[in-house]
Amino acid sequence: MGYIQRRNRRIFLIFLFPVIVALFATTIYPMLYAGWLSFRNYDLAKPFIPRVFVGWANYAEVLSSGPFLHALITTFKLMAITLSVQLVLGVGIALLVTQKLRGMGLVRTLLLIPMMISPVIVGLVWLFLYFPELGYLNYFLSLIGLGPVSWITSTDWALLAIAIADIWQWTPFVMMGTAAALQSLSPEPYEAARIDGNSRWDVFSRVTLPQLKPVLVSLMFLRAIDAFKIYDIIFVLTKGGPADSTEVISLYIYRQSFTFWRMGVGAAASFVSLIIISVLITLFFKSLQRGQASKG
Amino acid sequence: MSAITLRNVVKRYGAVQVVHGVDLTIDEGEFVVLLGPSGCGKTTTLRMVAGLEDVSEGELSIGGRVVNNLAPKDRGVAMVFQNYALYPHMTVRQNMEFALRPMKLEKSVVDKRIADTAEILGLSPLMERRPAQLSGGQRQRVAMGRAMVRTPKVFLFDEPLSNLDAKLRTQVRWEIGKLHQRLGTTVLYVTHDQVEAMTLADKIVIMRDGYVEQVGTPEEVFAHPKTTFVATFIGSPAMNMIDGRIESGRMVAEGISFAIPARYHVSEGQAVTLGIRPSEIKIAASDDAGALDARVEVTEYLGNEALLDLRIGRHEMVAEVPAADRVEPGRTIRVRFNEAALHLFDAQTGKTLAL
Repeated sequence: MGYIQRRNRRIFLIFLFPVIVALFATTIYPMLYAGWLSFRNYDLAKPFIPRVFVGWANYAEVLSSGPFLHALITTFKLMAITLSVQLVLGVGIALLVTQKLRGMGLVRTLLLIPMMISPVIVGLVWLFLYFPELGYLNYFLSLIGLGPVSWITSTDWALLAIAIADIWQWTPFVMMGTAAALQSLSPEPYEAARIDGNSRWDVFSRVTLPQLKPVLVSLMFLRAIDAFKIYDIIFVLTKGGPADSTEVISLYIYRQSFTFWRMGVGAAASFVSLIIISVLITLFFKSLQRGQASKG
Repeated sequence: MSAITLRNVVKRYGAVQVVHGVDLTIDEGEFVVLLGPSGCGKTTTLRMVAGLEDVSEGELSIGGRVVNNLAPKDRGVAMVFQNYALYPHMTVRQNMEFALRPMKLEKSVVDKRIADTAEILGLSPLMERRPAQLSGGQRQRVAMGRAMVRTPKVFLFDEPLSNLDAKLRTQVRWEIGKLHQRLGTTVLYVTHDQVEAMTLADKIVIMRDGYVEQVGTPEEVFAHPKTTFVATFIGSPAMNMIDGRIESGRMVAEGISFAIPARYHVSEGQAVTLGIRPSEIKIAASDDAGALDARVEVTEYLGNEALLDLRIGRHEMVAEVPAADRVEPGRTIRVRFNEAALHLFDAQTGKTLAL
């Protein structure tokens, strides 16, 4: 190994060291510990009982548990609603804010604000809006002779209410990514289409959308990972209720671990869901990318 | 009937006027080149014809119809862009199909048109490739094909060769010329390259700072430039220019004096600019009384010709001589200007003094 190579390697390691330490302390160690826990019977309420090795028992319980399956389905339901609406709204707004009009820069910045707010605060803001008797939303509905809607207290509405809050917070993310991609598209093909007389819809669906697709797939991938982890907003708004109608995976795990103190089951549920979600999301996006490649 | 007519066409962006009243008539089937340096308003003029820019003032007609307020698609024009403007995610075939889509033709007609065009342009083996898989010259041919399939009344070219390397440029230029002969469609073509203009055009429109300097055939703008700008812009190497004055009916500059050819109208004492093309400076016999002394500073050998950088009195000039007659730098020779080929311009206005 030459001098420069050796020196580069040393610098490389020095720079990497803090990251490795941080990653180990906050991610790798807890993950390994959770893996260890998932094979043990650990009741946090009775810490004096020895943590016995129980084999795959915790996993068996999670996999055969109705509430776990329910939470998994709820998570995917929420993901389906929020992602599809965020995609449509995000692209739509991006198309509007990339128009060359005065003040669009300001509009774009303002639209990003929801994304910069902590999810807990977003939850609180929407709690005020949704509040059954005193909430703004029902007040405005009453002005046009509608409502009241039991936003967060009815099983019909609660999941939708959470979806709305999440959509409000994360549509700007999709919008921002899409707008950036739109602005990187070369303007000449659009002029060619104008001269040839292609309709606006043809230009959007056959010129813009196909070129945006790689970016949209990535944005949706990131949003899917986030949507799977959704916790704060639900915790503030409904705590998984009413009647578990908004209990997503993360809340299920939280409840097993810190309400029922069953750390082993909670850890096992974490791993099961991690595997399920990794496999499903990977398969889904791989198929999207393949669809794209075959078209080319 | 003329294919395109511009009457006092003006383009303004806010308070800034970039095209100042262009008047131009283009006949059916004519190949017209808008030529000028960057920023002269040639591309803006083309884009107004295309409908990509609004006309601020004046009247623009295509095929006898005023089109000032007509959308680009209703003008019967097709355009070839400098950067090709191909749809990057579509194959060559899809690019052409998409251009035909608004015409709502039968599938069989579309297929036939595309096949015919691909045949003419030699694109048939490339139909299923995407632009990224094509060379620059091939992309430019696809861009032309996409314009051709629509069988427009007018082709607009916006510096179509400027992204190609020199060798390819010559080839594609030749192809464009051949294509025009074959199709006979009216062409409006923008370039800053005088060679493209000279070789392709039926008529050259030379523009500068938003004004039309001269309109004429390649021969006219070369042989009878109306301004010093046209005189120096057309022809390579550029025409030599000398500032002087009219004294006793002769043009006099420091150390040089010429009789005024009859075709020029001058007045005594007038400040004038004299132009002489490098090819019109001839090496003279050493005993030629009417010749001038010229010191050779640099010699550039070009194969058939050689360029001599001369110092004549206090003037620096370039002469183009047969390569066999080239002279070593540092020597002093006798040269004679071909007086029949002199150009005289008003030094103030830059306009020709020819009658």
